[in-house]
Amino acid sequence: MENMFLEFFSNTGYAMADYRHVIMIAIGIIFIYLGIAKHYEPLLLVPIGFGILIGNIPVFKGLGLGIYESNSVLHYLYFGVTAGIYPPLIFLGIGAMTDFSTMLARPLLMLLGAAAQMGIFLTFLGALALGFAPNEAASIGIIGGADGPTAIFLTAKLAPELIGPIAVAAYSYMALVPVIQPPIMRLLTTRKERLIRMEEPRLVGKREKMIFPIIGFLLCCFLAPAALPLLGMLFFGNLLKEAVVTERLAVAARNAIIDSVTILLGMTVGASTQADVFLTPQSVGIFVLGAVSFGVATASGLIFAKIINLFVKSKINPLLGAAGVSAVPDSARVVQMVGQEEDPTNFLLMQAMAPNVSGVIGSAIGAGILWSFMN
Amino acid sequence: MTGLEAIAAHNGWSIAIVGVTIVFTGLAMLSIILSQLYKVLDFWENRDDFFKRLKRGDAAEDLPDITVSPDMQETVRQYQMLADRLGEPFSLPKLLDFAQKCGLVNPHATINRLLKQNVIVPDGEGYYRWHQAISG
Repeated sequence: MENMFLEFFSNTGYAMADYRHVIMIAIGIIFIYLGIAKHYEPLLLVPIGFGILIGNIPVFKGLGLGIYESNSVLHYLYFGVTAGIYPPLIFLGIGAMTDFSTMLARPLLMLLGAAAQMGIFLTFLGALALGFAPNEAASIGIIGGADGPTAIFLTAKLAPELIGPIAVAAYSYMALVPVIQPPIMRLLTTRKERLIRMEEPRLVGKREKMIFPIIGFLLCCFLAPAALPLLGMLFFGNLLKEAVVTERLAVAARNAIIDSVTILLGMTVGASTQADVFLTPQSVGIFVLGAVSFGVATASGLIFAKIINLFVKSKINPLLGAAGVSAVPDSARVVQMVGQEEDPTNFLLMQAMAPNVSGVIGSAIGAGILWSFMN
Repeated sequence: MTGLEAIAAHNGWSIAIVGVTIVFTGLAMLSIILSQLYKVLDFWENRDDFFKRLKRGDAAEDLPDITVSPDMQETVRQYQMLADRLGEPFSLPKLLDFAQKCGLVNPHATINRLLKQNVIVPDGEGYYRWHQAISG
């Protein structure tokens, strides 16, 4: 009886855990804390945080419990990540909830979304310089797109073994947008620039909004066909929203579908960060490069907005450039916050949504380009 | 292999430059098309009027010429610039707000006068257009 008790104890998590599990469980708890107490992307950080807890309970190998064991339930759920199924479904929901009006009213602001994608390619170069293989470097670079689903999608295709660290890095930095971006924004702009008021956008007609997803889809996907799974779903979701007659489908896409997929994606990505595969020097490199990537993306958008101002009569508030990273709508909110620190009556949120949503399109095109180059 | 050597060996510079160029080209093309889209749609919605005018041979106008008094000419010029900035059709509250921000004198009274003189004309859908055929 004593032997049975000892044998049972040796198979419990308490006996099998080592310091790495404790570290990962602490990280999971920090994620949950940031999500619940600090409200940093709670819809993502809470599922990921709990997923990290799930993934780091030490389990007996061979019982079909771990996410990397082929017959486990978690493994089946994780298939949506590794096969690149969840990210396009999330894009469907994003499309169904995004209003592209401000972008349609002032398409020039789309270029800020393009400029912010410089972060992707500069980080790609940085990762190559640090000795990562090209496919891994491309997956790390996409963190600079500040778009979690895009990062997961590309990594699943190019470097599946890095999904855990890359997804966690991407979502962590997205959650930390209010912390990372403001110092860069203040550093690269003058007070006078931050005070610039934007013209009120023109009224955008329903028909224009309805035609946009079709034109956008055709143009972007003919240019970068590898972006089809993401952009196809994004524009399809937006068409469902704008077509009016498909409101039921749009409601399903922006509520039930995106919520279900977010739960599964967040939880399984979190669970994939098992201590033995996550706590490696490579993960540290990914986190450092991810932070650099975010900084470069923000700076690129800001600087490009200043360059545009050299040529246009009606000046753009350069803060809008920071919204070019596609963390929707957090980076737009940060622009509004920093703008209002200087002038509480200056409302930039609506204008900032234009580069913000074009950043989503830009990062998906960027992912498509990297995927096609690596193939 | 690390550093610049690794970038060069994996064709990194070319991939980065071509990648950035394609992203910029894609969004710039989309931006240009979208900036013209509403004009095309406006034209499409008013195509019957356009072809009617074309048949009549006076494509530029279908409102009768109006004449403004010399004392109003400068005011008309100023408000026309504001209306151009707002884009057509525009809403009167926006024009009023814009005029106030620009420091124009008595914007309420002036806009009322422009309405009475048919310099600003309603488009029938709650918005207004600038009368294109004005002579001094």
